[in-house]
Amino acid sequence: MADQQNPQLSGFIVERMELGVFAVDSSFNIVLWNHFMHTHSGKSWESLKGTNLFASFPELPESWLKRKIEHVFALGNYAFTSWEQRAYLFRFKHNRPITGGVDAMLQNCTFLPLRDAKGKVELVVITLQDCTDNALIQQRLAEAITVSDEERRKQQELIVKLEDAKNQLYQSEKLASIGQLAAGVAHEINNPIGFVNSNLGTLERNVTDLMKLMAVFESKETELPKDTQRELSKIKKEIDFEYLKEDLAALISESKEGLSHVRRIVSDLKDFSRVDQSGWQIADLEKCIDTTLNVVSNEIRYKATVVKEYGHPPLVECVPGQINQVLMNLVVNASQAFPERGQITLRTGEEGMYVWIEVEDNGIGIPPENQQRIFEPFFTTKPVGTGTGLGLSVCYNIIRKHEGDLIVRSEVGKGTCFRILLPIFHGKMGESEEIEFANSAPQ
Amino acid sequence: MNKGLSEDQTDALQELANIGMGQAGDSLARIWKEFVHLSIPKIAIVDASRLPALIHGFVGDTAVSASRQAFHGGFRGEVLVVVSAKDRNGLANLMGYEGQLDSVEREEVLLDIVNLLGGACVGGIAQQVNAEIGFSAPSLIGEDIDPLDVIHPDQLAIDKALSLEVCFQVENRSLTAHLVILLPNNEVGALAELLDQFLCTL
Ligand SMILES: Nc1ncnc2c1ncn2[C@@H]1O[C@H](COP(=O)(O)OP(=O)(O)OP(=O)(O)O)[C@@H](O)[C@H]1O
Ligand SMILES: [Mg+2]
Repeated sequence: MADQQNPQLSGFIVERMELGVFAVDSSFNIVLWNHFMHTHSGKSWESLKGTNLFASFPELPESWLKRKIEHVFALGNYAFTSWEQRAYLFRFKHNRPITGGVDAMLQNCTFLPLRDAKGKVELVVITLQDCTDNALIQQRLAEAITVSDEERRKQQELIVKLEDAKNQLYQSEKLASIGQLAAGVAHEINNPIGFVNSNLGTLERNVTDLMKLMAVFESKETELPKDTQRELSKIKKEIDFEYLKEDLAALISESKEGLSHVRRIVSDLKDFSRVDQSGWQIADLEKCIDTTLNVVSNEIRYKATVVKEYGHPPLVECVPGQINQVLMNLVVNASQAFPERGQITLRTGEEGMYVWIEVEDNGIGIPPENQQRIFEPFFTTKPVGTGTGLGLSVCYNIIRKHEGDLIVRSEVGKGTCFRILLPIFHGKMGESEEIEFANSAPQ
Repeated sequence: MNKGLSEDQTDALQELANIGMGQAGDSLARIWKEFVHLSIPKIAIVDASRLPALIHGFVGDTAVSASRQAFHGGFRGEVLVVVSAKDRNGLANLMGYEGQLDSVEREEVLLDIVNLLGGACVGGIAQQVNAEIGFSAPSLIGEDIDPLDVIHPDQLAIDKALSLEVCFQVENRSLTAHLVILLPNNEVGALAELLDQFLCTL
């Protein structure tokens, strides 16, 4: 083939192309050494001609390279090395002294058998290609892919977080409007309650006075003419005056009782929605439970008996409005777990640096496969339109923000117990809280 | 499309592969000073979808390492070498490596195995039928992979292939390598022609 081509041209190309070319005979003596090899090794053809490759370059990995070349001689096949496994054959400076970032020229080598007329391999020609540029690009590409994978993963995480935040926002917005409504209503109710209360006081006094007057009249009744007496006793019978006297007092005292109940509900509502205080506070969790129970009492009255087993743990640094939300969700969930009527037990206690609250019911329980999922947003087993499935996910997030824990223990058919663990101390007092849903409510 | 090789052609190919590999095995045995055993080459036309099962058949349920190399010239195709994973160091010191191998050296050994065996077999055949064959640099398919994962038929550009299978063993080294030469169906014609020419010269 070579003899059909211009030998001068071929010689020129071998000598001058940007590719290392050298050849050895079967004793590993150098028989060809092109310009590229000269430039990069610093050793010229004249100085190397006929010398042993391994004597001239003792730094070469001799046993491996010898074997490799021997194989080519014996089998007459090509052989290769790639920079990916073997960075280089000869340690040459690479062509990017400034922008490189690698310490030597990365090389791909090809070993070619050169056969004599009888087909026996006479020489092995080795070409050496500078792959530094390609390798660098490939390495940067690989790095870029790693970085972009990492970024994608982060984005994925952010999307999940965003979703959570959105749910939380949705729920807290709902609660915020309920809170504002409650606060507004409470405020509106407070005024009329005030004057009804004071009127009721006046009424009571007036009635007492009237009764005093009546007693005097009654004592003088016998002095009236007989006809008038008969008329009076007829009317007294008609209106059941004896009963009316007693009932009047009872009515007033019952009304006062009812009114004080209304005032407590209003103040609980205000407490619950924390119109006046929000953010981190030192709070009594048992009081939180009582407030919450008052607010939801209507919801649960006909479904459950409430049993309190308070252990009087220390006060806890928390956002009480949020703890109230958690308790409300848990108590409402519990009340919805009874096919008929059941019992909800609320316990408190202290454990190390934590205070715990348990909300336990003897309802239907949660099957194990659902226990993994109940804290997921939108997980619900309740009929469409009944539950949003957000309750527990919001609870979980609130407790997590308190650096506490929310643990479920449940057995199907026996009941469920949610345990809230809250660290007693955070050092967060005075910091403002992100979910201050009620701070803009009218006072 | 070609229907494959005639019986004569198949016999000839088997004989040529046998001789080619035999010579190569002798040469290697002389360099390594170890005995080399070669199985009689098995030739078949297989559906691409059957290739994973074929490879699984060589080794059974054990992790394997595999590498491949393309050849071109008188006929074109790819050589695939599958080595059970536990054997992968078997050839290393025959290849002049010293000491424990690190992970890139293990890769290099796998590349060298496919290069040596593929060259021996394909080169041996080509030389006898007077065809010029060149080889591209080999590449790695995978280390410690399931034999069924060596080839994914849905990623192949062919639906039928000629497979030539040889099992290569070095005594005292517990190395068994399975070599498969895959020829796309439309290359079988070129090989058949070369075989015919060769048969004429006999
Ligand atoms: N005390 C409990 N007993 C039995 N199952 C419960 C109890 N608490 C929660 N679950 C189960 O967990 C699911 C999720 O509760 P979660 O409070 O998050 O949503 P929900 O109650 O279904 O809806 P929402 O609270 O929005 O009204 C419920 O649908 C129910 O299947
Ligand atoms: Mg709920």
